[in-house]
Amino acid sequence: MAEVKFDAASRIYPGTEEPAVNKLNLDIGDGELLVLVGPSGSGKSTALRMLAGLEFVNDGSIFINDKDVTLAPPQDRDIAMVFQNYALYPQMTVASNMAFALKQQGVSKEDRMARVKEAAKILDLEPFLDRKPKNLSGGQRQRVAMGRAIVREPQVFLMDEPLSNLDAKLRVQTRTELADLQARLGVTTVYVTHDQVEAMTMGHRVAVLNFGVLQQVDAPRTLYSAPANKFVAGFIGSPAMNLLAASDVGGRAGIGGVQVPLSDAVAAAAGAHPARELTVGVRPEHLQLGSEGIPGEAIVVEELGSESFVHVRIDHLGESTTIVVRDEGETDVRRGDNVSVGFNGPVHLFGPDDQRISG
Amino acid sequence: MTAATSNAPSREEQVKALQKREARRRRLPLLPALIFTILITQIPFVMSLYYSFTDWTVTPPSPRTWTGISNYTDAFTNSFFREAAVTSIVMTVSSVLLSVILGTGVALLLDRKFFGQGFVRTLIITPFLVMPVVAGLVWKNQMFSAAFGVINWLLEAVGLEAVEFASKYPRWSIVAVLVWQWTPFMMLIILAGLQGQPASVLEAAKVDGATPRATFFQITLPHLRPYLELGVLLGSIYLIQVFDHIVVMTGGGPGSTNVPYFVNQRSIGGGWRFGSASAFSILVVIATIFIATFGLRVLSGLLEGEEP
Amino acid sequence: MSGSNTGPVVGERKLGGYLLSALAWFVGFLFFFPVFWMVLSGFKTEADANGPPKLFFEPTTEQFAEVTNDTTGLLSAGEAFSNSFWAVAISTVLVMLLAIPAAYALSIKPVDKWRDVLFFFISTKFLPIVAAILPLWIIARELNLLNTRLILIILYTAMNLPLAVWMLRSFFSEVPRELIEAAQIDGTNLRGQITSVILPIVAPGLAATALLCVIFAWNEFFLAVQLNPIEGSTVPIWVTGNVSTRGNFLAKLSAASTLATLPVIIAGWLAQKRMIRGLAMGAIK
Repeated sequence: MAEVKFDAASRIYPGTEEPAVNKLNLDIGDGELLVLVGPSGSGKSTALRMLAGLEFVNDGSIFINDKDVTLAPPQDRDIAMVFQNYALYPQMTVASNMAFALKQQGVSKEDRMARVKEAAKILDLEPFLDRKPKNLSGGQRQRVAMGRAIVREPQVFLMDEPLSNLDAKLRVQTRTELADLQARLGVTTVYVTHDQVEAMTMGHRVAVLNFGVLQQVDAPRTLYSAPANKFVAGFIGSPAMNLLAASDVGGRAGIGGVQVPLSDAVAAAAGAHPARELTVGVRPEHLQLGSEGIPGEAIVVEELGSESFVHVRIDHLGESTTIVVRDEGETDVRRGDNVSVGFNGPVHLFGPDDQRISG
Repeated sequence: MTAATSNAPSREEQVKALQKREARRRRLPLLPALIFTILITQIPFVMSLYYSFTDWTVTPPSPRTWTGISNYTDAFTNSFFREAAVTSIVMTVSSVLLSVILGTGVALLLDRKFFGQGFVRTLIITPFLVMPVVAGLVWKNQMFSAAFGVINWLLEAVGLEAVEFASKYPRWSIVAVLVWQWTPFMMLIILAGLQGQPASVLEAAKVDGATPRATFFQITLPHLRPYLELGVLLGSIYLIQVFDHIVVMTGGGPGSTNVPYFVNQRSIGGGWRFGSASAFSILVVIATIFIATFGLRVLSGLLEGEEP
Repeated sequence: MSGSNTGPVVGERKLGGYLLSALAWFVGFLFFFPVFWMVLSGFKTEADANGPPKLFFEPTTEQFAEVTNDTTGLLSAGEAFSNSFWAVAISTVLVMLLAIPAAYALSIKPVDKWRDVLFFFISTKFLPIVAAILPLWIIARELNLLNTRLILIILYTAMNLPLAVWMLRSFFSEVPRELIEAAQIDGTNLRGQITSVILPIVAPGLAATALLCVIFAWNEFFLAVQLNPIEGSTVPIWVTGNVSTRGNFLAKLSAASTLATLPVIIAGWLAQKRMIRGLAMGAIK
């Protein structure tokens, strides 16, 4: 059981100027599942590998349980890692794969077998213990990789996109199992993914990175309802939040000639900037099709069964722009229909510095 | 691991020290091989270079005297050397080209699924594995020989006259054996290239209505280019040094003495004139450097963008 | 990665396919024929061998017995084979001992300028051996190494080392980096990573590389004939010794050639796929 702390940790790859991870500050609590999420090149994997000891830390420190491990080699950190492609030892059986780390620690053979059996039971791997990795399915390999981490009973689990090689259906199922397993074991876990749905569904807290810089770290709900900046707002949520440069409607921010509804506090705070310098952000489910609002034309209707998303072309700032509106499952709207888009929930405003303006 | 004393080195210094230690640790395993290679390959070369500027006969021993570049000027006026140089060029170029062309043909034949594919490939690579002196002897005595040779037996069977190939066409007899031995090698490299060609590209070409001929010249051949270059490079490096075949097939008979054989004749093989022989060998090196510069460029193109 | 691009074929194209297959078989036999003929002639009597080509005859092993028989004053087969065996075996072991760590330092944990170093190794192969032979002869004479196995061991090691580094590097690069990192996190030290993760994966590549070194060293003639023409002579020199000016020798020569080449040919057959992959595919991926 452990706490993990990144203290202004940076990684600059040799031959590059921009840090891959820039002064990362992060406190991860005991037993927490923290997800690092971001687009490719955001530094999320690098941050994980710094914690693993697979990358140099050029500046700052990393602590596991108040112990400075910044310069410690991986084997001295008491961590276990699950790799994207699982990195199973091809010539060893499932059992030997799982027991390998214990063997390095000098654990006796009986103890090793006992612990492997126990982990195999948890992961439903018992029938496969004598097989080689190449004779397993993708899902089974993934579980072996998990098992290899579990048997070690490490301080911290590190997971680098562990589900990305599974097909979509299995990924959703494994996601739930993994979250459940982590909760039962209560081991501090740092989990890297590029998939924001995975991040939102699994993470106790989610840290969003972009270009090596931490954008926001919060509970999934907070990330969704109160994104710290434009990047987080656009990255979290699917389909993405509609983000538009605001038009000036009577001195206040608007879209296509219609003022956006704002709380008094936000309106007051936004008043410091001219409306034209603001960005309006509104999620598709906080818009609705009705008889009044922003006039537009439906150009794409995506019916997903329980809901549908209508892409509406509107006139905004003298150009035609598309916004996405959520509608009921069995919508009557068809491509080409003239519609009006009204507001139905909170609207976010982002200042010229891209930060969210809160009331 | 880290001592948290107040006068401990800064993090930056620690990281630097660690990286330095890491760099040293990475170099260490390389050193034995590197040092050994430098010792064995570079020192003799430097000595050769030195000898080439001297007049020196080893047997009977004569004093080594500095003569400057006269060995080199002599080399260019020495008609025997010029002839050897021409032989080297003709033999290397023709055997490399012929084996690349034949190798491509054979590779195309083998790049199809057919009964016994693996077996046929095994038969074809065999000549490359044959000891060069054996290859030379077998061809000379049992294929080319006028009296007992299989080829002449076939010629006579169709009413032609028997030819003692190895003495009548010494240079081309040697080239024939070299091509026999090196075609398999070229074939293997090119086959690797053909099989590395993504099937989807060929299917796309088919869908686009390309004829087999157009597909070969516009898609397959450009894809094979690096493989062909590698084959030409490796083939040239080895074939410019041919020696064994000449010894056993023609003994340097007319038109078949290449530079390595010539150098040997002038030195250890009986001439013992190490000074001028060294100059001849240095000229081979210069010629090879031309191939090598080209070759290194090819290789660096191959390694480009590849992560270790 | 599928090489065959034969789609569905019909009618005359099928016939063309059969013809191409037949041609492939024919070419195969053409290339193999001289080797076949050599082996065949080894089982002939001198009378049968020195005459019009004969496919059917009464086979005899008498030539094999004769060429392996010691004759005073001449290089015996036993001596040549034992010289070759030791020169080849020891040099190959040395090559592998030097090349494995070097290849590791050029691929898995690469030194900064790994490309340059690899180029250096390869470029030594561009240096014609004829440019080094005279100084080597002088050095060997000064150190009393002429006509010893030791000089061949040293030179065969140098000759095969660049090739082995080149091939092994390409095999080592195929070891997934994550696997080594996983082993690191699992608590292994460098030796553990090499013995328990890397070597099991590259073992077939190691075998193919060693085999190629064996083949090149076993077939080597130039250095042997320059430096060890008398004692310490190797198999290729012994083969040429069976060419006689006094009488018929073709059957005996064939028997000797067969003995000299067959071990290497069979070894090459067994390792063909990996050998070419290490040689060529290391460069082209």
